[in-house]
Amino acid sequence: MIPELMTALPLTLVITFVALVAGFCLALITTTLRVVRIPILSSLAALYVSYARSVPVVLQLFVAFYGLPLLVAIFGMADFFTPTVAAMLGLSFYHGGYLSEVMRPAYLAVDRGQHDAADSLGYTFRQKMMGVVGPQAVHIALPGYGNALIYLTHNVALVMYIGAADVMATAHLIMERAYNQYQFETYLVLAVIYSIMCLIIWVIVRYFERRSPMYVPAVGRAKRVAMPSL
Amino acid sequence: MFEADILLEDIREILSAVPFTLFMALVTFVFSTIIGSLFALAEYRNIPILRELIFVYKVAFKGIPLVIVIFLGYYGLPPTIQFLASLIGINFNGHHTPNWVLLVIGVTACIAAFQAEVIKGALNSFDNGQADAARSLGYTNGQLFRRVMFPQVVIAAIPDLTNSIMVIMKALSLGFAIEVVDIFAQSQLTAALNFYYLEAFVIAVVIYMIIAFLVTTAADRLERSLRVWT
Repeated sequence: MIPELMTALPLTLVITFVALVAGFCLALITTTLRVVRIPILSSLAALYVSYARSVPVVLQLFVAFYGLPLLVAIFGMADFFTPTVAAMLGLSFYHGGYLSEVMRPAYLAVDRGQHDAADSLGYTFRQKMMGVVGPQAVHIALPGYGNALIYLTHNVALVMYIGAADVMATAHLIMERAYNQYQFETYLVLAVIYSIMCLIIWVIVRYFERRSPMYVPAVGRAKRVAMPSL
Repeated sequence: MFEADILLEDIREILSAVPFTLFMALVTFVFSTIIGSLFALAEYRNIPILRELIFVYKVAFKGIPLVIVIFLGYYGLPPTIQFLASLIGINFNGHHTPNWVLLVIGVTACIAAFQAEVIKGALNSFDNGQADAARSLGYTNGQLFRRVMFPQVVIAAIPDLTNSIMVIMKALSLGFAIEVVDIFAQSQLTAALNFYYLEAFVIAVVIYMIIAFLVTTAADRLERSLRVWT
């Protein structure tokens, strides 16, 4: 059973990876819009964040699956939304909105004096972000980012419902082939697989959490928590 | 698309599922908060073996996606309930347990791990100097908890508890996998009857966002009014 489940793992990982990258870009844009306060755009960004955070992920996936083809049709393009693409886009939207709510507090948590100090030293905006404010915000945001990644992994288990052939869907095929005798056992195996994926993510994030304080002055360092992301 | 009469019909049908969803959310919230508080208290007091057990529980339930927990509960709980009932001499067919009870148990088990974190954070925000002050005034442990600690900890926990109500609402939407009809499942059923999928899902999205807005506004108001007299 496990080897067969593993054949579907690449698809799960690809969906996760696409959502991770696209969600990160979306979150950067959304956070910028919300922090800089451009009249209409920032309230749109706020609406998007509240959509991503208050609507169940299954529902977001279904909206992406049924809604995006219509949007594409308006622009006169061919419908290329296979369930996999719809799953990637739906999860990217979800992850972007969630992540923006991790990034914005982290950015705001950086001490105001750090901005002023960088400005008074004549740093350009880009230098300020990359050299002073960015590293500190990253340090503050990392535990939350780890959480977001773990939630994303959990939610990838839902793409089965719009028809993407991921690990869960394969498990359902396996169960049905055995006349639904071993459902509990199959779900236990799935639980172990997802736990291992989350554990790997946690280990990676913790490695960066360990490294990140070296860019941050001792006063601004977050207190070390035993397992912040789990 | 988006004809008025279909939208009205759909809204009426989907709204009919709101009370039951709120009821399930309330039950889940109460039980998961109680269990989470017990966990947090055990960790706060540093009770030796219990502490490690709770840690294992938290790691397990945070690593497994909620869908899988729900399915495990769906297939695993009825035999367990039947076995437990037979131990105390009751002849109860576990497979007659209503599905929504299984859903609530599954979601409660999962959310309790997160609630423990919320309550722990609130407990940690409590200023220990106040405990010393209360002790020096001769308060017993019970009085200290009831009169000094509890009122402050509850208020500190309000924002996160509100957030967890929304998390529970979203988590319950996975009940459609085990035939529990909540807002999302009702929108799916409605859509399946008249084939207007996007309309039904958009209505569900709007309902979820309105509920989220109402809950956060109410919680903000509650927090502000409580902060006045402490």
